[in-house]
Amino acid sequence: MIIEALIAVTFLAALVTFVLPDRYAGKAAFALSLAPVVGSLYMWQQYDASGNALLGGNIAFETDVVWLQLGQYDIHWMVGVDGISMPLVVLTTILTTLAIVSAWTPISERQSQFFGLMLLMEANLLGVFTALDFFVWFIFWEAVLLPMYFLIGVWGGPRRKYAAIKFFVYTNIASLVMFIGFVSLVFGLGDSITSLRLPEIAQALQAGQLGSFAGLSAGALASVAFIAMFIGFAVKVPVAPLHTWLPDAHVEAPTPVSVMLAGVLLKMGTYALLRFNFTMLPETARAFALPIALLAVASVIYGALLALAQQDLKRIVAYSSVSSMGYVILGLIAYTTYGVGGATFQMVAHGLISGLMFMAVGVIYNTTHTRMVGDMSGIADRMPVTAGIFVAGAFGYMGLPLMAGFAAEFFIFKGAFESTVMEAMPLFTGAAMFGIVIVAGYLLFAMQRTLFGPFRFDGDYDITEAPFHDVAPLAVLLLLTIVLGVSPDIFFTMIQDAVTPILELGGAF
Amino acid sequence: MAGILDFAPAIVLLPFLSFLIALGAGRYMPKGGALAGIGATAGSFVLSIATFFAVSGGQTYNQHIYTWATGAGDAVSLDFGLLIDPLSSMMLVIVTLVAVLVHIFSLGYMNDEGETGLPRYYAGLGLFTASMLAFVVSSNLLMAFMFFELVGLCSYLLIGFWFRQQGPPSAAKKAFLVTRFGDYFFLIGVVAVFATFGSAAFAGPEAFPVLAEEALHGEHAVNTFLGMGEQAWFTVVGLLVLGGVVGKSAQFPLHTWLPDAMEGPTPVSALIHAATMVAAGVYLVARMYGFYALTPTTLGIIALVGGFTALFAATMGVVKKEIKQVLAYSTISQYGYMMLGLGVGGYVASTFHLLTHAFFKALLFLGAGAVIIAMHHNENMWDMGGLKEKMPVTYYAFLSGSLALAGIVPFAGFWSKDEILYEALNHGLGTDGGLGTVFLIAYAMGLIAVFFTGFYTFRMVFLTFHGEPRSETARDPHGFGWNVKFPLAVLGVLAAVTGLVNMAPVEDLTGIHLTFLHDWLDGGISSLTAHHYLEVLESGVGAGLHPAGIGSIAPGLVSLALALAGAGLAYRLYNVPEPVEHTDKLGSIKTVLYNNYYQDEYQVWIATGVVQPISRALDKFDQGIVDGVVNGVSSVSLFAGGRVKRIQTGVVSNYAALLTLGLTALLLGLGLLGGWFA
Repeated sequence: MIIEALIAVTFLAALVTFVLPDRYAGKAAFALSLAPVVGSLYMWQQYDASGNALLGGNIAFETDVVWLQLGQYDIHWMVGVDGISMPLVVLTTILTTLAIVSAWTPISERQSQFFGLMLLMEANLLGVFTALDFFVWFIFWEAVLLPMYFLIGVWGGPRRKYAAIKFFVYTNIASLVMFIGFVSLVFGLGDSITSLRLPEIAQALQAGQLGSFAGLSAGALASVAFIAMFIGFAVKVPVAPLHTWLPDAHVEAPTPVSVMLAGVLLKMGTYALLRFNFTMLPETARAFALPIALLAVASVIYGALLALAQQDLKRIVAYSSVSSMGYVILGLIAYTTYGVGGATFQMVAHGLISGLMFMAVGVIYNTTHTRMVGDMSGIADRMPVTAGIFVAGAFGYMGLPLMAGFAAEFFIFKGAFESTVMEAMPLFTGAAMFGIVIVAGYLLFAMQRTLFGPFRFDGDYDITEAPFHDVAPLAVLLLLTIVLGVSPDIFFTMIQDAVTPILELGGAF
Repeated sequence: MAGILDFAPAIVLLPFLSFLIALGAGRYMPKGGALAGIGATAGSFVLSIATFFAVSGGQTYNQHIYTWATGAGDAVSLDFGLLIDPLSSMMLVIVTLVAVLVHIFSLGYMNDEGETGLPRYYAGLGLFTASMLAFVVSSNLLMAFMFFELVGLCSYLLIGFWFRQQGPPSAAKKAFLVTRFGDYFFLIGVVAVFATFGSAAFAGPEAFPVLAEEALHGEHAVNTFLGMGEQAWFTVVGLLVLGGVVGKSAQFPLHTWLPDAMEGPTPVSALIHAATMVAAGVYLVARMYGFYALTPTTLGIIALVGGFTALFAATMGVVKKEIKQVLAYSTISQYGYMMLGLGVGGYVASTFHLLTHAFFKALLFLGAGAVIIAMHHNENMWDMGGLKEKMPVTYYAFLSGSLALAGIVPFAGFWSKDEILYEALNHGLGTDGGLGTVFLIAYAMGLIAVFFTGFYTFRMVFLTFHGEPRSETARDPHGFGWNVKFPLAVLGVLAAVTGLVNMAPVEDLTGIHLTFLHDWLDGGISSLTAHHYLEVLESGVGAGLHPAGIGSIAPGLVSLALALAGAGLAYRLYNVPEPVEHTDKLGSIKTVLYNNYYQDEYQVWIATGVVQPISRALDKFDQGIVDGVVNGVSSVSLFAGGRVKRIQTGVVSNYAALLTLGLTALLLGLGLLGGWFA
């Protein structure tokens, strides 16, 4: 029942925050958001699952009751976590709390709505990562969009309407494509399933129950469904060339919303890719190894080169997310312990580090009211602590050893290089790894020009060190990044435990 | 086995502790954290000495200390471990000694000069030392890579220490970026080693050089990739790892970061050049020499890169105006010699040069630092002159270092550089085929570089210390205290005597056993000994080297003669009361040399003239085409023109309705298609 409690408490916190007066909302939201943090840490501490939740593993905190009837299918309220979702639940709660604190300074109007929506989004995200029934999962999946839409559209920058609509429509169409793909699988399975529980579907597919549907043979149906779901999730990740909603959304979104968007919402896409495409249709995935690896490399290099061309600090970090998510795709297609495990680890690591970078840019923006590289120089002279953490975070992003990003990237590179899905995987790996040079290029250039050199600022604002509550979330994220980098086993052990069954899957058709 | 070696982790942890102390509490401490740093590095030095003696007593230590990532099932675990053998224990002594002296010197260079930001400085030094020490004792290639990168981070932080100026941040960025480019290949190499051997350990039952050797003997199979045979694949892997070495050890063509790195404080330069960052590259090759010894192509490339870099950098050193620039190019050149030595099978010779160079180069940088203090931070040698009388301690120490650098008998550099050249000649003449020719070409380049080295070294000495003072500050230099003189004195003595540990020509001449370093590097773990490497080098599966068996005296005399000729020319031209810039006579050649053969220009051009336009073009493509398609699709479909506007200006409930409608439509579709409502 703890998962239900976790989600319910978060919903309640959102409701309470909605009705509070604006001036208490921020502090109250922070205090209330500590409850899910404690809850998720308690879960992590009590965690006793083994294996993969979809493949007959022992699920932690499982609830499975019939909720309602839909035609021939029972809809179950089925939630639970395994080694893949547990780290993401912890990431979600911690990042939300920190994002809430980072919103204290920049959000100055309609606070109760803002913080309420943040908590509402958290509740839905927790649902996405814990739901194990497709129906339940899909409701949460769609319901995440709504608060995000408002958070960008109401509190965003000058082009917030455009960005919000674009985000909403683009990801909703993607959901539709994905939905069609998944449903065609369900139909293909015919009578072999009686519910939409993901484990049941995954195991039926594994048992070779997929029949023909709409004139397609089982193999062709699997391919069509795979492609449809891949496109649907790839928009969310985003995988180039389906990424263009992302920079617009990030640039317009207020900092705390960017933190959530890059830190957690993108991981919905990679999480779903792993759960659906790579777990349910492993044979199809292996058959598509070449195009998927190409997309991964393209995302890494293309995203990084685009980041190099940007002058807006936030756009730089936004495009670099495309690059970092490319690594996740590369790791997933590797089908090795380190590859898929590293990809999952990267979801957490990138969540922390991109959150850190967006927050750091936000802290500078709070003071300077600009994010353009050319508008300032030598900021480190006036904001030494912020600059110091910025530098540390940037090196984390570059994959400095003993920080979480390096662990994730190294796992992925190692797993992808020794992958057997394709003869040429070492070449793809080597090509994707060039991202670590480009990322160093754009972050070092950006830091040199904004943080260092003689102090210069063209605006009218007084540049002084940021207040404690702006810097504290950065410090926490930095600390977590280092802890995970020094001791990746904190999550990597449970991740591998859940990932290994996926690798052992044979072909079903 | 409990013993002093169980304290080895403390050698690394003490400087790390001083990093934490300086960072956290440095501003409340009397010398900005310097004392913690000195105490920590001194403690590490003492422990290193104790370790050194323990190793000389025959002990070695190869222990797993921490599992960084546990592999589930068949997946390998990634470990941290300590490997203490003759090579690493010698390096520990070098690094800790130079680190202590640099810390002490910093009291004079930084504290006494009223610098701000001292806690940051000492924190950087502490972390730098700790990272390098951890790198030195790494028991496997992954751990080595990780600390190699941290060394790179620290160099970034320290080169860019004066971040309020324009130059240092730029130099710091360049140093990290250029070495990162090399490390990219290194990281692929690390991954490839894991994929090939399933282990990246340097020593022990799963040592990858040993596995590689056994695989070549056909004793068991290893994974190779891309359809390559074992020999070819090992060559590829070796070259990949070499990428990191070329970057960090500033070998052509990735040497360009190093001269710029002179923007950092001078004590930092001493640390980077003598004992940490730049040394790391060469040390890595020595550490996994058993692997390189198997692949003749790699050895040939190492030798050529080294020989070429030695000569190439030495010619640039000839025309520089700033004292630190001369030293920077001499560093590149000297590490070129070490690479040359490793390439031609002179493992002991190169290690020897790593040892002597560490002392004399630290000495020269600290000496230059003393000069720079005296000159009120003016580094131009043409404003100096006549400093000999005013600062005798510095002068004699600097002279000792210069004699060592130029390779004048009996100073340290003579013995080590000479042995490298001897190995090149010996193996070049003896080895058949193309590899022997490559070695001889590399030898020739190294030999010519000796002349240039002698010249630029003494040009620097004479311009700085001899003749008449050429500026007001040189007439009345700034004084300094014991904290500057003490490190200089210690290193001055070491630069003079360190060569005595391995006097191969004298052994040849007298028959008395004098090659103690050979004995030292022959001890310890059997797969990591000098004679094991020699066996591999000369075996059929290895590189197939053959010594010609020539004596070491004649080649030694040749290189000594060249060094003296170079020094003599410098004496003629520059040891005069009023020297003039004779290199002007070189005309356009000087321009080319002064601009470093336009190496920086083409690398900057690649960054700003190629990569940046590409990225900007891609950005246009992304905004115009990729995003244009997205916007185009949306505007011709549901959200055409005015409708978008209407939706955009709607009230909150409209959006909610839109979403709800969407969801409902989806569910209805699902239901209808599935016939659920039937």
